[in-house]
Amino acid sequence: MRQPWAVAATMAARRVVASPSALAVSSGFYFIVVSVVSALWRAAAGVHHGQVAGYSAAALTWYIAFSEAATVALNVRMIEYIGQDIADGSVAVELLRPTPLVLVRLATESGQAVARVLPLAGIGAVLALVVVGRPPSWTGVLVALPSLALAVCCNLAMQHAVAAAAFWTRDARSTWFLYQKFVFILGGMLLPLEVLPAWLHHIALALPFMAMSYVPARLASGHLALGLIGLQVVWLIVTVAAAAGMFAAGQRRLQVVGG
Amino acid sequence: MVTHAEAVIWADGLTKTFRGRRSTGVEAVSGLSLSVGAGERVAYIGPNGAGKSTSIKMLTGILHPTTGRAEVLGHVPWTQRRALTRRIGTLFGQRSQLWFELTPRQSYRMLAAIYRLDEGAEERRLAELGGLLDASDLFDMPVRSLSLGQRMRCELAACLLHDPQIVFLDEPTIGLDLLAKQRFRQLLVRLNEEKGTTVFLTSHDVADIEHVAQRVIVINHGQVIYDNTVASMRRSLLATKLVEVTFDRPPDNLEMAGVTVVTADATSLRLAVDTTITPVRKVVDVLLERADIGDLSIVDPPLEQVIANIYEQAARP
Repeated sequence: MRQPWAVAATMAARRVVASPSALAVSSGFYFIVVSVVSALWRAAAGVHHGQVAGYSAAALTWYIAFSEAATVALNVRMIEYIGQDIADGSVAVELLRPTPLVLVRLATESGQAVARVLPLAGIGAVLALVVVGRPPSWTGVLVALPSLALAVCCNLAMQHAVAAAAFWTRDARSTWFLYQKFVFILGGMLLPLEVLPAWLHHIALALPFMAMSYVPARLASGHLALGLIGLQVVWLIVTVAAAAGMFAAGQRRLQVVGG
Repeated sequence: MVTHAEAVIWADGLTKTFRGRRSTGVEAVSGLSLSVGAGERVAYIGPNGAGKSTSIKMLTGILHPTTGRAEVLGHVPWTQRRALTRRIGTLFGQRSQLWFELTPRQSYRMLAAIYRLDEGAEERRLAELGGLLDASDLFDMPVRSLSLGQRMRCELAACLLHDPQIVFLDEPTIGLDLLAKQRFRQLLVRLNEEKGTTVFLTSHDVADIEHVAQRVIVINHGQVIYDNTVASMRRSLLATKLVEVTFDRPPDNLEMAGVTVVTADATSLRLAVDTTITPVRKVVDVLLERADIGDLSIVDPPLEQVIANIYEQAARP
């Protein structure tokens, strides 16, 4: 028997392939962002004797290529859109199916995000090869690929958990902006977490945002710590459980109070 | 009247009150009771804010009622929603179940997996629906290239993929052109006649009610205010008949109590007859006597007017 989650993810991935123009736009944006941000980090490394917080200029370029791919692959305002679906009652219609609402949504979004993130990582790898040459570790780059998939899934699950607050607040418009800033800074998208002050570095490592960008980027930059992938799996379980719990509670509220 | 035992949709005293944080609450549905038998085609209508949407949400299990009981296909909708969703289909005219970038067949694959149909069952069902809805050639075209009428046929196939016993349709013909509407209505009737599927339809389009439904349930202020067959509704609710005549020589004088001239020209006349004052037969006799009649017809007033009258009667204190 076919699993609805697997079919939903596969079909969603096909949607990405069926819309090459949308993928081309996000690839163009990604190329510009990686070019600029990695150039800044190479300049910073240049004035710090070729290293920043243990990362060489080449490692920083590979880091940024993967950290940006993990976030550019996702819709930046997803929390707002999920919140709108909840607030305007669209989500209620999805209750008319015999599968848990949030899991089908997560499978669909994850299928799309994985189909986007892998081509982006390919573009980033080519860019990094051209600019700084081979990565500090090819193994690290290969291990970073499944880690990228885990990162986007983790991010999506967390966004669903946060957006589910709209079942109570009826509004998630402002939340996405704050959430993105957490991913940018505490998730290590703009900068390796080792660059942060020690106290903030420790906090960032204890939060789920590190699983959404920092882990694949750290691996791609040649720091082979496979325990990081284990940590991502743990955060994925926690965030999916949080999303499922929030949606279940939200659905109960929707059913009692109305949409 | 359909008994509780015979009913596939049954509600008794359903009430739903939405409570705000500071307000005392708004009663959207107020003691709604109805029963629908298997294989019926029912139009469920009412003015905006009448409680249609809220009551359908309760009947499909999306909402818990504040008080009251209901069963749909033997399930209590709000406690057995998942089991119920396998046996009902829903079509919301403004919400698509199909992915625009893909073909309908690819979207059906996901829906088939959700409803636990294996590939063989899915293919057999799509072949059957393709024939029933005359849509086989549309299933492999990208959804974005389909016209709205074609897409709605594919949406209906999506709603019917798991072979539901009841379909709830909310404004299914909204936005369709005249021909596409006619075709869609014919398909609903065909689906009901060939498969015995119960059709529960909400629409503001009177033609949907006239051409699809056999029975009309009108709700207002959260309560059923009228429940009868479409034909009876026409007959019983308006005592007015329209008499249309064409003639070579116009009648000399037509002054009669309860008869008003709606339109008149040199060769034709349209009269509204209040049959509680003057029987329509008497009017016909007078016309035949006083004019050289070429053609004569007696028609019911448009259904739109009938429904407007029901709403107005309900609004009066």
